[in-house]
Amino acid sequence: MRNMKYTLLAAVAAIVFTSCDKVSPIGVLVSGTGVEDRVKMSSKYYDEHKNDFRYLVAKGDYSFLVGADSHMTTDDGRMAEMLQIGFDHGDLFWAHLGDIADTKAEYYVTLEDVITEFRKKYAEKHFEEVYVGQEGNEYQMNSEEFYVYVDNVADMVYTLDNVPLPFYPVVGNHDITHNGWALWSNIFHSSFYQVPIIVLDANENIVALDHLIFLDSASGTLGREQVKLIEEGIMDGKEIEKENGVKIRNTFVFSHTNIFRPRSVEFASTFPREEMFFLLDKFAEWNANIVFLGHVHKWDHQTVNGIEYLTLDSMSEDNNPEPGDYLVRVNCKLDGTNSWEHVHMNYTPKK
Amino acid sequence: MIKTRTIILSLALAALATTASAQVFTGEHKYDGEHKNELSGYFMGGNNVVVQGYGGLAASYKYHLTDRWTVGGDAQAQLGKQLYSVDAKGGYRLPFKFLDFYFDATLLYNRYERWKANEKIANLSVTVESPYLYLRVGESYIRWSIRDFGYTEPLTLTFGFGAQMRPRWNSWNVGIFFRNYDDFYFENWNINWGLNFYGRINSTMNFFGEFNIRPAGSMSQLASKYETSGKLGIKYVW
Repeated sequence: MRNMKYTLLAAVAAIVFTSCDKVSPIGVLVSGTGVEDRVKMSSKYYDEHKNDFRYLVAKGDYSFLVGADSHMTTDDGRMAEMLQIGFDHGDLFWAHLGDIADTKAEYYVTLEDVITEFRKKYAEKHFEEVYVGQEGNEYQMNSEEFYVYVDNVADMVYTLDNVPLPFYPVVGNHDITHNGWALWSNIFHSSFYQVPIIVLDANENIVALDHLIFLDSASGTLGREQVKLIEEGIMDGKEIEKENGVKIRNTFVFSHTNIFRPRSVEFASTFPREEMFFLLDKFAEWNANIVFLGHVHKWDHQTVNGIEYLTLDSMSEDNNPEPGDYLVRVNCKLDGTNSWEHVHMNYTPKK
Repeated sequence: MIKTRTIILSLALAALATTASAQVFTGEHKYDGEHKNELSGYFMGGNNVVVQGYGGLAASYKYHLTDRWTVGGDAQAQLGKQLYSVDAKGGYRLPFKFLDFYFDATLLYNRYERWKANEKIANLSVTVESPYLYLRVGESYIRWSIRDFGYTEPLTLTFGFGAQMRPRWNSWNVGIFFRNYDDFYFENWNINWGLNFYGRINSTMNFFGEFNIRPAGSMSQLASKYETSGKLGIKYVW
């Protein structure tokens, strides 16, 4: 009888442990979603859809907004707030440092809904909405699939699904435990990519080129394939400079896994030592201005040989329910100087 | 229930009986109380994400001041990684029934020549060792620097666990281990695991080896291949 009790207790403990959303016990020793496969898929997608990662165009000064570790579940409050803040301020783009949602299909449905809502807002603000359904069909008039969005500057036409909302995430470990890569990549497609920013002056002449680099560090290592591609120079911006005939001015790098350890006791893996030195060296070679990091849920600011490293606190309503300065905005001036500031979030979770 | 009690009692008796057996040198920790010097050297080779193939040599020396106190030092040179290391160690052994407690202090310096980076580590650890198992816990204070920048990681937990097929004084052994350190590094929450073994050549010499899988991202629950390596060496005592 007692044996039966212990067996039942062990079974219940095992079920509770393995069914927890945030825990993947086997992942401590062996991963279900390999960084090598993710990077190969991402590189292939990037090569085949280069036009989707189109150039951003900034006229004069511009700014962008960065958030981290939203760990979205059923409440989209903070994610919607981040998008709205950037939308209201006129930021050129949003960047998210990973762990955007915990791995459950329904959380990703919530995430996709909020992204779609802001894709529509963005399209309505920046493009011309054109009805392409049948004339006189009032049912179609209410259906989004019968509208397209015309970008008269770039001479492009988008359906709502294809509107290029400049929201750039990197993948985090919680995005893809329990084989969640399928969910994440279904929305964001690539975890290793770059985006150039063409900066125009008042006369619409190209005066500068800025460079955004997004790394897949969710596994605590870049993996051999990503290191190999980086060493081959895929991210050094030479090709972009050649295409535009302008030297890169600012480089901003985005990674989920942190380099520094602002928490003395951090129950999370950082990069192995050699890889950390490799990255610090590589960021210096890229002349990076700012490297953005997440993962550890604690704010930290370091300057290493002229490069600023900002580790952002979690913007999650679960981890940080009180309002706070969880976002960072970077202001890039036409004269080449840039600065950053904290941005306050007010949303508190629904009780 | 009675069966379980009998098994536990038998294991306890077997463990106690081992303390009465004549201790012989076995390679890892157990000290025979006779020799004063231990010298070992090994070849290593492996593959890692950043540098790909690498290989090198390591040497270790330990002197038994008494049957309780030891001092020693280690050095390694790894080609490929361009990693050069030296350390100095001291330890105290406290026997307690069939267990031995080892209190160790290590000062380690690593030079990562490839990236012109340095790492200095002070580690304090306690290892409790039984004939078949060991458990190690400790703390590392780490200071690393690259170019003009230095950074301190004041608190890095050291932990290790190992189990062997045969008792520690057997002439051969094969074991498994899980730990976040190796001879020349102390990691932050990345769990190495693998197999190790030794075999006696004669009364003063052992050969030993190890196969080590060092993943990244263990505590991110996405353990991914970072490094695999092997060691093969000889230990000589006199």
